[in-house]
Amino acid sequence: MIEKEKLKKYAKLLMFDMDEEEYSTLQEEFDIILKQMDLIANIPDIENVKPMTFPFINKDAKLREDVVKDYLTTGEVLANTKHQVDDQVKIPKVVE
Amino acid sequence: MKYKVVIGLEVHCELETKSKNFSPALNTFSNIPNENVATVDLGLPGILPVVNEEAVRRALLTAMALNCTNPDEVMFDRKNYFYPDLPKGYQITQVTKPMGRNGYLDVLVNGKLKRVYIHQLHLEEDTASLEHRNTYSLIDYNRSGIPLMEIVTEPCMESADEAVRFLEELRDVFIFLGVSEARSNKGQMRCDVNISLMEEGSDKLGTKVEMKNINAFNSVREAIEYEIKRQSELLDKGEKIVQETRRIAEDGKTYAMREKVDAVDYKYFVEPNIPPVPLSDEYLKSLKDSLPELKLERYNKYIEKYGLSEYDASVLSANKETSDYFEEVLSYGSDVELSVNFVTTSILSTVKKLEVDIKDLFITPKMLSGVIDLVHKGDMSLDHGKKLLYKAIEEETDPVEIVKRENLHQINDEGELLTLISGLMDENPEQVRQYVEDDNKAIINFFIGQTMKKSNRQANPNKSLEIIKQELEKRKNNA
Amino acid sequence: MYRGKNITELRDLIDNQGVSPEEIFKSVVEDCNKYQDEYNSFVTIIDKFKMKARKDTLITGIPYALKDNFSTANILTTSSSNILKDYIPVYDATVYKKLKNAGGVLVGKTVLDELAMGGTGTTGHTGVVKNPWDKTRMIGGSSAGSASSVALGLVPFAIGSDTGDSIRKPASLGGVVGFKPTYGRISRYGLFAFASSLDHVGCLTRNVKDAAIVTDIIKGQDEADMTSLKDDLKNYVDTLENDIKGRKLFYIKEVCDKELYKDSNDEVLMKVLDDFYKTLDKLREEGFIIEEVSIDKNLLEAIYPSYMSISCAEATSNNANLTGIQFGPRPEGVDSYQELMMKARTEGFSELIKRRFILGSFILQKENQEKLFLNACRVRRLIVDKINDLFKTYDGMILPASGGIAPKFSDDSEKLSDRYLILENHLAIGNFGGFPSITLPFTMVNDMPVGINLTGRVCEDDVVLNMANYIEKVTGLKDIYSKVGEE
Repeated sequence: MIEKEKLKKYAKLLMFDMDEEEYSTLQEEFDIILKQMDLIANIPDIENVKPMTFPFINKDAKLREDVVKDYLTTGEVLANTKHQVDDQVKIPKVVE
Repeated sequence: MKYKVVIGLEVHCELETKSKNFSPALNTFSNIPNENVATVDLGLPGILPVVNEEAVRRALLTAMALNCTNPDEVMFDRKNYFYPDLPKGYQITQVTKPMGRNGYLDVLVNGKLKRVYIHQLHLEEDTASLEHRNTYSLIDYNRSGIPLMEIVTEPCMESADEAVRFLEELRDVFIFLGVSEARSNKGQMRCDVNISLMEEGSDKLGTKVEMKNINAFNSVREAIEYEIKRQSELLDKGEKIVQETRRIAEDGKTYAMREKVDAVDYKYFVEPNIPPVPLSDEYLKSLKDSLPELKLERYNKYIEKYGLSEYDASVLSANKETSDYFEEVLSYGSDVELSVNFVTTSILSTVKKLEVDIKDLFITPKMLSGVIDLVHKGDMSLDHGKKLLYKAIEEETDPVEIVKRENLHQINDEGELLTLISGLMDENPEQVRQYVEDDNKAIINFFIGQTMKKSNRQANPNKSLEIIKQELEKRKNNA
Repeated sequence: MYRGKNITELRDLIDNQGVSPEEIFKSVVEDCNKYQDEYNSFVTIIDKFKMKARKDTLITGIPYALKDNFSTANILTTSSSNILKDYIPVYDATVYKKLKNAGGVLVGKTVLDELAMGGTGTTGHTGVVKNPWDKTRMIGGSSAGSASSVALGLVPFAIGSDTGDSIRKPASLGGVVGFKPTYGRISRYGLFAFASSLDHVGCLTRNVKDAAIVTDIIKGQDEADMTSLKDDLKNYVDTLENDIKGRKLFYIKEVCDKELYKDSNDEVLMKVLDDFYKTLDKLREEGFIIEEVSIDKNLLEAIYPSYMSISCAEATSNNANLTGIQFGPRPEGVDSYQELMMKARTEGFSELIKRRFILGSFILQKENQEKLFLNACRVRRLIVDKINDLFKTYDGMILPASGGIAPKFSDDSEKLSDRYLILENHLAIGNFGGFPSITLPFTMVNDMPVGINLTGRVCEDDVVLNMANYIEKVTGLKDIYSKVGEE
């Protein structure tokens, strides 16, 4: 079974935390999924299949012509945060 | 102990396009915060990236100029990490199929040719910019989504000279291709330097130190030189080099940045919102055919095709504007030798004196070619041509117009010149006597000066010289 | 007053009976509010009548509901998550824009499973959605509120999104029609992404014709969505009555063979399967050719874990924009951006979401990608290739949409036992391959509806709707809704 500490580390990298018992639930969930994925790895010749990202080849897909079109006003950019100074979004000081 | 220096560079360059890489917002450098931001650049829920074909074209063109192989289709990947300047929480970049792979750029370093190998060139997006104030930081999303090209070299450079020369040449490639202005003072071109030292004769690679986000080329030099010194001293003392990221400070020294305990796993995967768009052979070929000549090609052409000296060739191919100017002058059929002469002297000195871009100079290549033609046909002396040019610059008037206006054509008619010259000799009997009786050859120069003065510098100097000599001899014989 | 009326009926009221869209709107909103406490279909019920009718379309003046994961400018859009509980978008999703331009009248934003990641309708931040046919039961999700608002007869249609079965499963449990067309047929611009390569936009209605009407309005290529398809220039309503004689369908033995479940003592399931085969027989009488095919059980069992792997991986990345910085609730008293993000995300996501994100991120880790992520993508190809291969012979795949009626809230949440692994998860095939897929009610078991699912070839949305229209004729379960609370 995957160690809880590892799961905690992963959560931290994703910028959140959970309760102890929630980690326990997750441990069990991992167990099930990883077992199922083990079964997949046993599908004959699976390694020779090309992974599929897109449901099908979209022949209509094309690149965008380089033209400027309507976009947001500064007011709209800042509409969802009241934390603003000089038309910029204010956050705690970023220390490098 | 002697050490071999191994340097690799990661160069970022913002591409000049009208709109951003994945959104239709204006791609520009702006001092007004958050004025060029689309939903996509802000990472709002529900947004989808749409790839700018011009950004793709420019990245492919650069990859070709760097002798890279190109992919068969356009596709992107996601690089996942959290940082306040990355609104989506991931950057759209290329890992699976970069725009270019396995290329090289030949660079002249202290007279020797150095081939710098390119590992890959890929297209991605710039991040938002952060401004740090006393107690807080501010985010401006204007830069978010601006097309960014990253060029990763192999670790194949061995000195600060090589690294800086490569950067200079690379910037010239961007400029000659017209894909970017590549101004480092606007942050359009930035670079990360990886450097490690290995014992001479050893094949064991040293520990790599990374220096991030250096804008100015001389800072790159400083940083490399400082690191070589720092690392050598550590190694000499038997100490270990720490694998870390350092930054260069204003004092020219490098300082360790906050250490990251774990190597970051960016969890790359194929960007599912961008279906692969095939790059046809015809399209790639047409791009290749459209590649403009780069600096080295132009330099070689000037020597081989036009017979220029190495010096002139290097001056004229030094930057794209000068080279384009020179080539445009030639395109009007102007005499090569005179064109070289005019551009390398009058034009370049004027550019320097007025501190303007050559392309903003009042004298266009077309105007210059008009003056060159006058000189070439013998209608005007070289000296007079240059003076005319300065006059034209001063008055901001087409030199050919000045010639017309002031009737400045050269006097080539021999009868006219003879009348003028014999009149002068009649007016100056003492000087004639000195030639006839004392055989004073310096008198010839006196009459040339007088002829030019009298003719308002319009007399053809060569013809005048001939006539003066003939006329003086005649008077000597008749005496 | 207008409860249970379909688009055609409302159209007639507006066009020929002098009923104004505003009257209908007011009455519908009243009903929405009336059933809100009990069934919780909506996050937001619109209080002001707004209609933009530059031209007359089949939905001009018709009320509808929109899942709360579609961006609507100036209207709260929460994705049923605390992390977006106060988010008011500044732009319109393409679907919403199209509906607005066609004169559709939005009456509410519907509850979903948080961030569309769930299949129960129980995880939204404003509480559980109840099944209109029996409020002790769930309706399924994630388009829970969209399904319940249609199943209650409040609105004739609602828009949903479908990543694994999120339109078609609640449609089955709620006794309504749920259709997701071919991937890319409808723009995803403005749909809050769950798993971009699997996400589809679709609709929930009470009959097949209404599904065709709505899809005709919202489909089309969008320059803001590179994955959108070129417009097929078809009108799906026009071809609903096309002759289906000779159309060939298959069902998968490993999904619905009664032998597989004979030891289960699951009477409901046996009744569902009995009725399924009876329905197939009736369809054969109508002229369909229906055959049984067999697909490797191991491959079918791999659907669910592969779906989990791909969807969680994409989801963890897609939702990385939810940090509390440029939108969403901003935690107070934080000293660093890390603390800011940490607090916003810890408080903003429920446990289930966090678990899925961790799983997704684990799957994408360098050392796990090959086995966990890429193998899932390989299974995806194997399955899609297999189905496409069958589609060379058959026009469609027909299967029960679920193995039973809606579960009770008190039941063990999902049927996780291996026995149901294939039966309860095969709808994801439609997302793997981007196939057009529709669920419609075909039987009532213990007074609860159960849906049948039909999936067709990519880009043959018209054919799927045409065949579904005939299935609807055979089942007779057209325009059904829960009349609960009606005098």
